[in-house]
Amino acid sequence: MSAMQTNQLPDAIRPVLGNGVPCTIATCSSDGIPNATIISQVYWVDPTHVALSFQFFNKTIRNVRENPRASVTVNDLAGGAHWVLDLQFERSESEGPVFDVMDMNIEAIASATGMSGIFKLRAADIYRVLSVRRLDFSTSA
Amino acid sequence: MIPGKILRFLETRANIATSATRDRELVPHGHRVVGWRVGPDQETLTCLIPALFTDHLLADLEDNGHFAVTIEEIPTHETYQFKGRYLRHRKAAGEDMVANARMRERFVTGLQVLHAGAPAAILAAFILEPAIALDIQVSEIYLQTPGPGAGTLLAPVAEAGRA
Repeated sequence: MSAMQTNQLPDAIRPVLGNGVPCTIATCSSDGIPNATIISQVYWVDPTHVALSFQFFNKTIRNVRENPRASVTVNDLAGGAHWVLDLQFERSESEGPVFDVMDMNIEAIASATGMSGIFKLRAADIYRVLSVRRLDFSTSA
Repeated sequence: MIPGKILRFLETRANIATSATRDRELVPHGHRVVGWRVGPDQETLTCLIPALFTDHLLADLEDNGHFAVTIEEIPTHETYQFKGRYLRHRKAAGEDMVANARMRERFVTGLQVLHAGAPAAILAAFILEPAIALDIQVSEIYLQTPGPGAGTLLAPVAEAGRA
């Protein structure tokens, strides 16, 4: 059912990462309890890395520090597809160009969704991409 | 039992959902959810999964039974996460399709509040048809609305029902 699979982010995913459609992340604690969360955006860092925002010390943040694996789904409504990214948490950055871009985008998203003032970026969590696959809606039957 | 406030949220307002399982090596897997129904006991939640997101699903559940599902209402962002144990699964049919259609309608309405003019057909296509219906015994419910309170345990389901 996967149309393609790679361990590098293809150029085709870049506009999808910035399309403003909510994404989802699955993580798991060290004692084996899965967690599912809806997140606002996934950020392109380079062809083998993405960044997720660290705003509150929530269960997702705790889980990836205990067990670094994560699975993220980003949604391309106009293109009729999902992209599933299998990730490994590498490090957290609280300054620098990735942090600065995310900080600006988060305020813009918060403002557009009526959540202004609630979000404050504490760090950019950097993940290595283990695999990427595109799932077309048309193949779901 | 799932508290009345959350039951009403599930039955009348929520319009987007995602779920997670994990394998024996603690690798998590995400699965989109395209509808849900609360059982008559108000402790069983049936989650509808499209075919595209069934990779690892049943293997994970049969290995360890852990399941988490997060359900949100757009545009309010009111969100809850339900954690529990896999009970059984079957091919989605009948009332599952009604629940799927209800979610699709709510999703289109909710998204158009945020994105005025977004074509209804494109939004509707995002809510895929379900392939599998999973019955989950809910044991815990967490507040997941974005903000500093996200992650607060609202109550084990059995205690919430007695409250």
